[in-house]
Amino acid sequence: MSSPLLEARGLVKSYDDGRIAALRGVDVRIEAGEYVTISGPSGSGKSTLLHMLGGLDLPTRGEVLFRGSPLGSAVDLDTYRSRQVGFIFQAFYLLPTLCAAENVQVAMLAMNERANHRAERAAALLEEMGLKDRMRHYPNELSAGERQRVAIARALANDPAILLADEPTGNLDTANTAHIMEILRGIREQRGMTLVIVTHEKEIASSAPRHIRIRDGRIEA
Amino acid sequence: MARHLSFTGFAWKNLRRRRLRTLLTLVGITMGIGAFVALVGFSRAFEHEWMRLYTSSGTDIAVVETNFMNTSLDESIGHQIGAVPDVAVAVPMIFNLLDLTPDVNALVYGWRADSYELDSLILLSGRRFRDGQPEVILGKNLADDLKKRSGDSLPIQGTNFTVTGVFHGGTALEEGAVIMPLDQLQTISSMQGKVTAFHVRLRPVPAGEAYDRYVKRAEAEIEAAVPGVHADPAADRAANNQLVALAHSVAWGTSSIALLIGILGIANTMAMSVFERTREIGILRALGWKGRHVILLILTEAAALGLAGGFLGIAAGWTALLVLSAMPQTASIVSASVAPLHLAESLLIAIAAGLVAGAYPAWRAARLSPVEALRYE
Repeated sequence: MSSPLLEARGLVKSYDDGRIAALRGVDVRIEAGEYVTISGPSGSGKSTLLHMLGGLDLPTRGEVLFRGSPLGSAVDLDTYRSRQVGFIFQAFYLLPTLCAAENVQVAMLAMNERANHRAERAAALLEEMGLKDRMRHYPNELSAGERQRVAIARALANDPAILLADEPTGNLDTANTAHIMEILRGIREQRGMTLVIVTHEKEIASSAPRHIRIRDGRIEA
Repeated sequence: MARHLSFTGFAWKNLRRRRLRTLLTLVGITMGIGAFVALVGFSRAFEHEWMRLYTSSGTDIAVVETNFMNTSLDESIGHQIGAVPDVAVAVPMIFNLLDLTPDVNALVYGWRADSYELDSLILLSGRRFRDGQPEVILGKNLADDLKKRSGDSLPIQGTNFTVTGVFHGGTALEEGAVIMPLDQLQTISSMQGKVTAFHVRLRPVPAGEAYDRYVKRAEAEIEAAVPGVHADPAADRAANNQLVALAHSVAWGTSSIALLIGILGIANTMAMSVFERTREIGILRALGWKGRHVILLILTEAAALGLAGGFLGIAAGWTALLVLSAMPQTASIVSASVAPLHLAESLLIAIAAGLVAGAYPAWRAARLSPVEALRYE
């Protein structure tokens, strides 16, 4: 049997010298091109699981394998995050001193790309997100929906294999939520990317072919 | 087409974000580099002027006691030095720093009227002084400052001297000096029968012998002939005399303190900046920036502060030298010229100061856990 794109094996994450357990033995397999949602109550460990899958943090016990190789040992975490993963956050996390185009380029600064190529790619991605006229706008000049679209463009900057979104619509109204979800699903279909979304919204959770529910650091279904 | 974002452009935008703090930091490093340019520049120019003082008169060796300022040799040993085979001529001299008026102090030299050192001066007016007479000649700058001309009277330490001439000297040290008969300076300095040093001119270098080797041999011969004296090459004497050493010490000491304050200013700014941008650094790490990229960003910002402070400091220091060289109190010992090497050195020190100051904040930033940095409020 071939290795899945991402696999979590017996993930345990505890804080405060083991007194707080965020994950208590999680096993997950995610195939290439899959669309998966993860939901659960606040503090259930869903964001922690996403951070582990994205190489932002290492588990206390267990391991995450990318194409069969463990993250943090066989796979360098920084390289994994820059080349294989695109993150989208609830609070957008755009850099306030940079305009939209520069916010997208900042993801490519660490990749030794030519400056021209970086600028061209950022422009193309923002155009794809419907932000052609907003490229030189700073985050405080953009609406919440526009900011999230800039963040999506940034996540796609290095053409990753996996898109990880942590409550991507948590700060958006209904119309923008629908728009962002349409964009994310469109990206997955057009590019064949693996899409993992952490959400507490039932509609979004149930929109995916596969839905993982997590509670008290354990997978329910 | 989207605007290009370069690494340095990103660093620049971060610095511009807190303009007042960046400006205050620049003031700190500017003061440090300004002090370095002005003080170290001054002390080096001072040493250079000493060197020229010896070379313009053709002095090869200075014979002193143990140290320059308090050296006191018997004038009578002059003939012993003069008897050394390689010595062409040995002239006694006294050097002192005296208050001429409440506002003006000047270097005062006591020479014999027949000293070869007088030959290197160009008399602009009047004549040379005579031994045994209360007469002085003044350097052009000093004469201008004191508004004295040939024939005027000049009281020094309670004695009325006649200005017999005004000269143009080869160095700022001479341009701002008083030169009087050795015996007169001995009297007003209570140094009868004593001199500060003997300046020695050697015979022509023998064929086939290198100058440095020749001078070294002559030094040994003088020290052997007159026990208890030091014979130093003129160049060493210029570099190592106590006045120059004192100027170097004060210059380096003061500018080191000023530089340290500048470095602490940059370090504080960068530490605050890293602290405030914790979440942004977490974002960069989440985007795949390696620790070394974060270090490079912080160090680029710190080095840019150092570089900008370096340019401003050079401008400030140079201005200070120009002002000092125009002031009567300091004109005789301050030259407005700054060696290009000193400017380059100042810029390098400024950049290095930035890098040193940014090193710890950069290291801390690179060690931040991405997920903890993202959670930071």
